Amino acid sequence: MNQFAFESKQKIFLLGAMGLGVVCMVLTFLVDDPLHTRFWSNFLHNSVFFTGIAFVSLFVLAAFTTAYSGWHTLVKRIWETYSLFLIPGLILMGVIILGIWGHFHHLYHWADPAAVAEDEILQGKSAFLNKNWYTIGTVVILGIWAYFAWRMHRISVQEDLQGTSDFSHHRRYRYWSAAFLPVGAFTSAALIWQWVMSIDAHWYSTLFAWYATASWFVAAMALTILTVIFLKALGYMEEVSTNHLHDLGKYAFAFSIFWTYLWFSQYMLIWYGNVGEETIYFRERLDHYPTMFYGNLILNFVAPFFILMRNDTKRKFGTMVLTSIILLLGHWWDFFLMIKPGVYHTAQEVLGHGAHGGGETGHDAAGHAASTFHAGFTMPGLLELGTFIGFLALFLYFVFNRLEKVSLIPPNDPYLAESKHHTVWPY
Amino acid sequence: MQKEVLYGLYDDEEVLLKAISRARESHMNIMDVFTPFPVHGLEHAMGLSESRLHISGFVYGAIGALTAFLFMTWVFTRDWPIIFGGKPYWSVPAFIPITFEVTVLFAAVGMVVTFYTICGMWPGVKPAVLDERITDDKFCLAFDATHSTEEERSAMEGFLSSSGASEVHTKNV
Repeated sequence: MNQFAFESKQKIFLLGAMGLGVVCMVLTFLVDDPLHTRFWSNFLHNSVFFTGIAFVSLFVLAAFTTAYSGWHTLVKRIWETYSLFLIPGLILMGVIILGIWGHFHHLYHWADPAAVAEDEILQGKSAFLNKNWYTIGTVVILGIWAYFAWRMHRISVQEDLQGTSDFSHHRRYRYWSAAFLPVGAFTSAALIWQWVMSIDAHWYSTLFAWYATASWFVAAMALTILTVIFLKALGYMEEVSTNHLHDLGKYAFAFSIFWTYLWFSQYMLIWYGNVGEETIYFRERLDHYPTMFYGNLILNFVAPFFILMRNDTKRKFGTMVLTSIILLLGHWWDFFLMIKPGVYHTAQEVLGHGAHGGGETGHDAAGHAASTFHAGFTMPGLLELGTFIGFLALFLYFVFNRLEKVSLIPPNDPYLAESKHHTVWPY
Repeated sequence: MQKEVLYGLYDDEEVLLKAISRARESHMNIMDVFTPFPVHGLEHAMGLSESRLHISGFVYGAIGALTAFLFMTWVFTRDWPIIFGGKPYWSVPAFIPITFEVTVLFAAVGMVVTFYTICGMWPGVKPAVLDERITDDKFCLAFDATHSTEEERSAMEGFLSSSGASEVHTKNV
């Protein structure tokens, strides 16, 4: 079966999960502090996570197409529909932008004129970290990505319907892919600086963009593996074999190690350099978030490294489902750790707790207020999990809704035959 | 001990793969197969069991990791403690790059030595090459004919030429 049918019971299930997410978000909003920090940081966390998965899917497609890869053709429709989520992603991030302009939230230290006025470091960075650049950067860059996603998806669908033997559609697809690689590679760094790294506005790391993109990458691979296995379990995509699963598993394995490499490179250089304004980022996380900090490494490095190391585990559906769930939650956990401590700091300062001393010291001193457990910040609580499920359901509903409108297997892709015969082991 | 080898040379790997399947179907005992480059599906066609070399690689890697980490721990906490840049004696993050590199070194060198030992290749060993064209463009299917009767030999020869071998030879190695 190459035509996915989005059945009504799946729709009801996903709508129910979205409803759960909405209920959790409303509950978060109600039990929150006066600034609604927990609600807004959950919103940012999940929006960034799923928009990033959509971006990586587009990047993977562009990279594979440019590299003359053939094996992925049978699963490329999944990535094409994933990448279309950049359009709802633009809306989600638009809500954050509205929040900045309307002062609905205090996620970003630098967006607060009162904080900037008495803070030399924020003043020094204000040429980039300001509302205008945040808005322009997000709208323009995400808009360009979404345009590429929409354009490439359209070419691919046209190829299905009117593909010709001169491969003109594939050639056009290849041009757009090659064009997206430099665009995506450079602009993703800027968006990560604005969306995530600027939460800890005093701190910066040149490795951060790579590290966060690697986190998105593994999450995207994990979600792809889960979707492929789900579709296969329903009887679709019969031609996607354990060989394709093996290769997807290799990407999840390889990029888990790549993520660890970047995580460690960032950590060790800052630890070794021992410069106070840099080490505070990790000091804070080690002191107040030790379970999150070490758990992050266990979920995203130790588990995939030892589970996926062998050949045969990457070819078993059960093991791949388990590992993919670990990795998807693990990288969501990773983004939690990137976002929450900084947001908590800023909120404490705005609320006037521990902000004595003002300016630089005030920002650091606020950290000591976090020494006890704070629901939704120190650890993801049930409300965070519910919000995650809601966003995941939204993502999947969108993806399945788009997937239903096209063939699951691109029938006129010139690499389709190569993908059908893809064999990696045991040859 | 000298062996008498009866072998056929093929021009194409697809023909060779078919010949191997046929030989296994008719229960002929293949001594070995030689190809100028790795042929996909060859070990599967020959029915070889999975190599255990990677397990040795894991063991060597684990030994390397432990060696490096425990050695540095011993040096910097017991034997010769020095403070570097105000860090503690037992500075785990600083040990990790070296631990990683020694792991790779042990795994790589260990696997090479193991592989060469299994293949009986040491410095000074002169490998017995059945035919030099095997290293260029010929694919070779070899039978051990040391203890074969005359009928068995003619059966092997018949099999080789009927399965597409362009040449059939006998050689003592």
